[in-house]
Amino acid sequence: MKTFEEKWTAWLDGQLSGRELAEFEASLPDKAAAEAEKAVARKLGVLLKRELGAPALTNEEFFSHQLRERIRESSVPSAEREAKASTWWTIPRLLWTGTASLAVFLIFTIFVIRDKNPAEESQYLTQILNARVDPVVSPNATVSMFEVKQDRVTVLWTEGLQSLPADYAAK
Amino acid sequence: MQTEATLAQADVSDLDLVTRCQAGDTEAFDELVTRYRTRVFGMIYNMVHSEQDAWDLAQDSFLKAWKSIKRFRGRSSFYTWIYRIVMNVTIDWLRKKQVKGGGSEFDDSIQLKEVEPASKTVPKSEALPHEMIERSEIRARIDQAIAQLSPEQRAVILMKEIEEMQYHEIAEALGCSIGTVMSRLFYARKKLQNLLRDVYENI
Repeated sequence: MKTFEEKWTAWLDGQLSGRELAEFEASLPDKAAAEAEKAVARKLGVLLKRELGAPALTNEEFFSHQLRERIRESSVPSAEREAKASTWWTIPRLLWTGTASLAVFLIFTIFVIRDKNPAEESQYLTQILNARVDPVVSPNATVSMFEVKQDRVTVLWTEGLQSLPADYAAK
Repeated sequence: MQTEATLAQADVSDLDLVTRCQAGDTEAFDELVTRYRTRVFGMIYNMVHSEQDAWDLAQDSFLKAWKSIKRFRGRSSFYTWIYRIVMNVTIDWLRKKQVKGGGSEFDDSIQLKEVEPASKTVPKSEALPHEMIERSEIRARIDQAIAQLSPEQRAVILMKEIEEMQYHEIAEALGCSIGTVMSRLFYARKKLQNLLRDVYENI
């Protein structure tokens, strides 16, 4: 059973026919007023159709491009997306990174030691040895050590010593 | 400029394209988007009255359509099916906006004050000097009047009057009965007739 609103709408849109149309029109208290309202409804329809024409979609190609990108992003398998989103520092990765860092550190250290300037090394040792000479016993004494790497020779040069200290030992 | 491929595609039916989409063919979906993007955008624009929002909602609608294309069984046309998605997305958005905005948009107590039928914005008998200005005034009045309708009433009146869809198509697109469509149409028309009387009387 149609309500009055449904019948009225169908009548306005010309969707009633036959017996249904006759019954509805017969039920109208003022057919002239109803016809006037029908004309108004049609005018409204014309107005809406005329004024609400679809506005142009500017940048149509960009619209499609943007949509393609969004579809592509949404098509990435969820497992892959989860992997991307998950924390990078998993335990195996931490172990691997720690080992790699240690290896890099060792290699770097070895290279630094090998490349050390021999002259600097000798001067350093000389300073240590100088510190071992007792200034009271030998006030003018100096002890120097030189290392010549290519000849694999180390020279200990002493000068002005009255005697060697009893506990002297070049460690 | 159209390529041979696009010319050939013009003859391909929506259903064929949908079948290809269901097999994962994004180019087929691209073609469907090209066919309907303007109408979808226009429909949404008339519902929300903002180009940026209409753009975003049209994007969301097509993306949703792509994600659920495998569920399309061909019982209705693709056009009706996509409209159902468009309407769901747009009506949801309008309802959320209404909640955020305090629910004043569809408040019957203020609507007639906001859009007075005898408003001076569009004089009854004398035309404004420039036709463009007049058209934009009329458009603004119509937009204001449509904004007073509920999202469902907007959808129904636009689909009927602008898209010229049949009752059963509108019902399908909105997921409601034909009777509900007719009833909503009745009240939407009544409201617009009251709000726009001075406008359509001059045409």
